[in-house]
Amino acid sequence: MARAREEARDSQLVSGREPTSRIIRVSVKTPQDCQEFMLAENSSVHHFKKQISKRLHYDTDRLVLIFTGKILRDQDILSQRGIFDGTTVNLVVRTRLKGTLPGPGTLPGPTDHCTHHSEPSTSESAGMLARLGRLAQSSPELTDFLGQLAQLLTAAPESVVQFLENPVIQGLVNEKPAKARQAPESSRQNPQKPEPTLKALETLQNPARQQELLQANKQDLEALTAVPGGDNAMRPVCSDIQQFMLFTLAPLVASKGQNPASELCKEEANAHSNTDTTITIPTASAPARPLTQKVRAGQATQARSVASNQTHSGCGLRMPDINSGHNLLSQESQQPIGKATLTSQLRPSPSALCKALHVLQQNPALLHQLASGSPLQHHLPLLPILTNPRALQALIQIEKGLQILSKEVPGLGRCLWDPGRETREPSETRDGGQGQRAGSVQPTWAVLQLLYALAKACSQSTQSSLSSFSLPEGCFQQELEHLKAMGFANHDANLQTLMAAGGDIQVAIEKLLGLPEAQVPPTDAYSVPPHGEGGKGRERGRGGEGK
Amino acid sequence: MEPPNLYPVKLYVYDLSKGLARRLSPIMLGKQLEGIWHTSIVVHKDEFYFGSGGISSCPPGGTLLGPPDSVVDVGSTEVTEELFQEYLSSLGESLFRREAYNIFENNCNTFTNEVAQFLTGRKIPSYITDLPSEILSTPFGQALRPFLDPIQIQPHGGSPIGRPNGQS
Repeated sequence: MARAREEARDSQLVSGREPTSRIIRVSVKTPQDCQEFMLAENSSVHHFKKQISKRLHYDTDRLVLIFTGKILRDQDILSQRGIFDGTTVNLVVRTRLKGTLPGPGTLPGPTDHCTHHSEPSTSESAGMLARLGRLAQSSPELTDFLGQLAQLLTAAPESVVQFLENPVIQGLVNEKPAKARQAPESSRQNPQKPEPTLKALETLQNPARQQELLQANKQDLEALTAVPGGDNAMRPVCSDIQQFMLFTLAPLVASKGQNPASELCKEEANAHSNTDTTITIPTASAPARPLTQKVRAGQATQARSVASNQTHSGCGLRMPDINSGHNLLSQESQQPIGKATLTSQLRPSPSALCKALHVLQQNPALLHQLASGSPLQHHLPLLPILTNPRALQALIQIEKGLQILSKEVPGLGRCLWDPGRETREPSETRDGGQGQRAGSVQPTWAVLQLLYALAKACSQSTQSSLSSFSLPEGCFQQELEHLKAMGFANHDANLQTLMAAGGDIQVAIEKLLGLPEAQVPPTDAYSVPPHGEGGKGRERGRGGEGK
Repeated sequence: MEPPNLYPVKLYVYDLSKGLARRLSPIMLGKQLEGIWHTSIVVHKDEFYFGSGGISSCPPGGTLLGPPDSVVDVGSTEVTEELFQEYLSSLGESLFRREAYNIFENNCNTFTNEVAQFLTGRKIPSYITDLPSEILSTPFGQALRPFLDPIQIQPHGGSPIGRPNGQS
C-alpha cells in the first residue's frame, strides 16, 4: 500500500516517465459544491481522503466517501472500486467525530447519584439518563454539554431530579431523532464546543430562557410528526388551530359531504400551523393588477387544471395572485379555506373523470374557453362541477330551468344570453353584471366565489351547449320554420347560421346560400341528417316541452 | 469485516394531474405528456421529498397524495440512516433550502435525482427529469412560463427534516 502511494507520488512528481499508475481526475461532490482531484488510480481511499482533508480542511475522520451507493473504506483502492478518470464521488462530512465520545464515561456518574438520592423517580430518571446517554452518543456537542452538566449536577443531586422533570428536558430527550439532526447544524455553526455548551448550561439554569428553548423546541416538536408516535406530541400544539380551521371549514365541507375533505381540512390546518409561509406572492404581481390578473389567471387556468384541479388535494398549489390582492392576513386565512373548498370538491373517480372529459369533448367551445382564458376566479370550480356527477345533474337541471325561463321571458333571454354573439363576449358582459355581485369581500370570499363561478359555469355551459340544446331554437322557432319552408332542411346549419346572423333571417339565408354543401331538396325536408340525430331528437322533444 | 448492510432505495412517482395531463396535453400543449410527475425517495422506511417547504419526510405514501402511481426501484445503498440524515441536512442548507424551490429549475424531481445519485449512483428515469423542458419547449409553456414560475408545490402530510434552532 505504501509502495503504491510512493509510486503515485513519484509519478506525480516526475513527468515524462511512464507512470506505473495513471493519474485520474476524480470529482468530489459535496452538498455544497464540487471539486476535482488529481491522483493515481491505484491510490487508496485513505490517501484520497488525506488530499481532500488538506484542501477542504476537514478532519479525515469525518470524511465519508460514497460511490454508487457504497461507502468507501480506507483500505480500498480507487480503481478496484470502479473509480476511474472522470467519475464523481460523493462526500459527506460527518459532524460527529468517530471514536471520540467522552459522554458515556461521565454519564454513569449522575445515574448512580440519581439512584442514591432520588428514590421515587429513580427508574424514571435512570431511564431518562440512559436516553440522554444515547443522545450524547449521537452528537459531540451534546456529549460535552451533558458531561459538564453531569459534573455540575453531581454537586447538587436534588437539582438532578428537578432538572430531569423539567418538561423542557423531557422534550429534549424525546426528540432524539430531531435532536440528532439539529445538533449537526448547530455544531456546524459553532465549531468551538465549549461556548455553546456553557451557553446551554446557562440557558437551562435560567428559567426565563427556558421559555425560549421551549419555543425553539416547538420546531423540533414539529419534526416529531415524522417519528412514530410523534403525532401525539403534536396534538396539543396543533389541536386548537385545527379546531378553528375545522369550525370555519365545516359548513363548507359538510355540503360536499366527503370524508377526505375533512381529512384535508385537518391536514390543511396541520400544514397551516407547520409551515411558515403559506403564501407565495411574487412582487411582480403588483403592477397592472386587474388586467394581468385576468390574463394571468386565465392562462394559468390550464396549468392549474392540469396540475392541480384534479389533484388528490395532497398538493397545496399556491397561485401567486389567487385572491384579489388584499392584505396578507386575510389571504392567509382565505387561501386554506378557498383551497379546501376547491380541493374538497376534487375527488373524482375514474368514471366521473371520463364523464367530465366526455362533456368537454361534446362542448368544444367550453374546452376552448377553458383553454384560452377567462378570469381564474370564474373558472375555478368548473372542472369539479364537471367531474361530480351529481353536480353535473344539477347543472343540467339549472340549464333546463334557464331555458324555460328564457322562453317564457324572451326579453330576459336575449339580455342574458345573446345567442348570436361569440361565446366570449357574453361572458364578459356577464362578468360585468355579475362582478358587482361577487365584489371584493374578504371573509366569505370563498363561498361567493363558488356561487359566482357556478353561475358563470352555468352560463358558459349554456353558451357552449347552444349548439346542442334547443335554447336558441326556441328563440328562432319562427325563423327556423321559415328556413325549412324555403327548403333549407339542415336544421343544424340553420340554427348555427341564425345564431351567427344574430337572428336576422335575411343574413342567415344569404349565409346558407353561400354554403358549399348542397342543400337537401324539399322532398327530404324532414329527413334528419345522420350526425347528431340522437341529440336532435331529444332536443326537439325538449323544445316541444318547453313550449 | 462483516459485509455492510444494503438498504433498498425506491422512487415513488405521483401524477399530480391524476390522468388529466395524459388526456389534455395533446390539446393544450400539442404534445403527449403522460403526467405531471412528483417524485420522492423512499429509503430507511421513510419517504423524503422536496417542496416549497423545504425537504420533508413522512411515512411512505403518507402525504395527502396517497399511494404512489408507480414505484421505481433505484437500487441499493450502504448509506446508513444517520449518514443520510446528515447529508439531507447539508442539502437542506445549500441546494435545497425551502426558498430555493422553483417549479422548473429546482423542483421535487431535481431533489430526487440528486439524492438517488448520492445513494446509488443512478439517476431517476429521464421522462421525469425531462418534464420541465418538455413543457417549456411548447409555445404554450413558453407563454405561461412567467405565470407558472412562481407556483410552489408542497404535498401535505410530511414534516420538515430537522432544522437548527432559530432558523426558519
